[in-house]
Amino acid sequence: MQERTGRFLTFAALGLVALTLLYRTMFTIDETQFAIVTQFGKPVRTITTAGLKLKWPWQSLLSFEKRLMVYNPRPSEFLTRDKKNIVVDSYVAWRVADPNRFLQTVNDLTGAEMRLHDTVWAAAAAALGNTDLSALVSVRPEEVKVQDVMRQVAEQSRARALEQYGIEIVDVRMKRLNLPAQNRESVFARMRAERERIAKQYRAEGEAEALKIRAEADKERARIISEAYREAEKVRGDGDAQSTRIYAEAYSRDPKFYKLVRTLEAYKKVIDPNTTAILSSDSELLKLLTRGRTN
Amino acid sequence: MKLGAWLGRRWRLVVLAAYALSGVYFVAPDQQAVVVRFGQVAAKGITPGVHYSLPWPIESVYKLKVLETKRLTVGIEMPDQALGRVAAENPTEYLTGDQNLINVRMAVQYAVKDPAAFLFRSKDVTQLIAKSVESAFAETIAAENVDSLLTTGKVAAQNAMLISAREILDAYASGVFIGSINIESVTPPAEVADAFRESVSARADRDRIVNEAQGYANDTAAKTAGEAEKLVTDAESYRQRRINEAEGDAARFAKLLAESRKAKDVTERRLYLETMEEVLPRMKKVVIDSSGPKSLMDLGIIRPNP
Repeated sequence: MQERTGRFLTFAALGLVALTLLYRTMFTIDETQFAIVTQFGKPVRTITTAGLKLKWPWQSLLSFEKRLMVYNPRPSEFLTRDKKNIVVDSYVAWRVADPNRFLQTVNDLTGAEMRLHDTVWAAAAAALGNTDLSALVSVRPEEVKVQDVMRQVAEQSRARALEQYGIEIVDVRMKRLNLPAQNRESVFARMRAERERIAKQYRAEGEAEALKIRAEADKERARIISEAYREAEKVRGDGDAQSTRIYAEAYSRDPKFYKLVRTLEAYKKVIDPNTTAILSSDSELLKLLTRGRTN
Repeated sequence: MKLGAWLGRRWRLVVLAAYALSGVYFVAPDQQAVVVRFGQVAAKGITPGVHYSLPWPIESVYKLKVLETKRLTVGIEMPDQALGRVAAENPTEYLTGDQNLINVRMAVQYAVKDPAAFLFRSKDVTQLIAKSVESAFAETIAAENVDSLLTTGKVAAQNAMLISAREILDAYASGVFIGSINIESVTPPAEVADAFRESVSARADRDRIVNEAQGYANDTAAKTAGEAEKLVTDAESYRQRRINEAEGDAARFAKLLAESRKAKDVTERRLYLETMEEVLPRMKKVVIDSSGPKSLMDLGIIRPNP
């Protein structure tokens, strides 16, 4: 019985040792990681590919993030070439490129971000100091060179970051441009003035357009009415002409008789109660009255 | 043989079988799987269905909903879990090409394009997307003016930044495909909101004034057409009347003439006397004897009617 327990214990101990050795020698490295094998604190091997790996049991392991990371520096104020203050809010896409260098100089994420900040800030200050504000914001698209400026920042900081800290700066991009807080009031005043100008312009445009439309309408009206007048007068003239012709035709058959009839007709219209007639006693009508005979 | 006894004797086999079977996994219809062997990508883009992988710790399986469109809000307000934003964050303002400040909120829809890249290439993929979109937006509107953004230029800006954001994310090999970027709101800062409202209402005023004038023009045109019509119609009725009257008068005269010719003298005298009968009673009459002295006459006898 005791012999069996002893044997079991021996086996167990051996198994434990074997497992420990296995655990100390075999390890897996993720797609997302780099690893450095150290021997008594001294880096001896860098592992950059994922998979099952081996090391000596007395060696230990340090792992680093391999994935792309995003660092957001605080928005900082820069001076452009034309001496305008501008707040640039950017981000840096970066990854660890050289784990050895990274381990020696930076070691952790906070340290990496501090160094990234310094490196990128210096490059940005240089690049922006060489750029006019109109190359950052402009209503003329061909003038805007933001991407070029940021590419320049990335390129300038890339070599330094890689060499000094083992960091690869993949990209530096501007994610927001703003004006400094102390300029806000004046910016708002300008915006307000601009809006007022635009509002006035809108109204003036409206008035002008309306005037034009009204004048056009009045002009059109004058044209149509005068044309109608022309047409109407022609028609009237035609009526007058035709009636004249009819009268003339009819009356010319006996002008003397016409004269008589028409004159008598005219008397009826002309004479009213205000008319006083001084009649001679030998007039056609009264001859008989005064003389008793007609001739 | 009892099952229990069998199991009791073959328990090593059962444990081994159970271990081996633990490698069976299912990929749902809207998913794709990536198999990782000892941390290294062994197979990617595994389609829906039942599959087998070597059990832990050799292989592990990551499943991703590749067909699902994910949504992300970029810009002001709205807490966003994915970005760890809180509603209290300061509004973010963007500078437009004409140096106006505006607040913008955008909704980004994206999907997984490359599951392995999506899983392993970047540490915080949603943040990467959000920053890329912000950058694309900032670069786009740096060349825009605020009026265009507030009105007709929004769609063009959206398209430009969509293209730009896709390029950026592809350059990072992020495994993300941006389906759309939608500018949900563009608002001027609160400090100048009233001035913007005023300019918008001025634009409405302009349209109103123009519409009113247009209304006047339409009204005038209709009235004018009526008036012109009336002028011509009146003239035509005048012509017709004149002709009819002339014809009537002519006919009357002709009839009268025809009859009077039969007894010319008598008719003429009759017409004269009839007219006198009708006319004379209406007026005052002064009769002068033509046989008397031809002296000057006192016109005082002519008095107006009372």
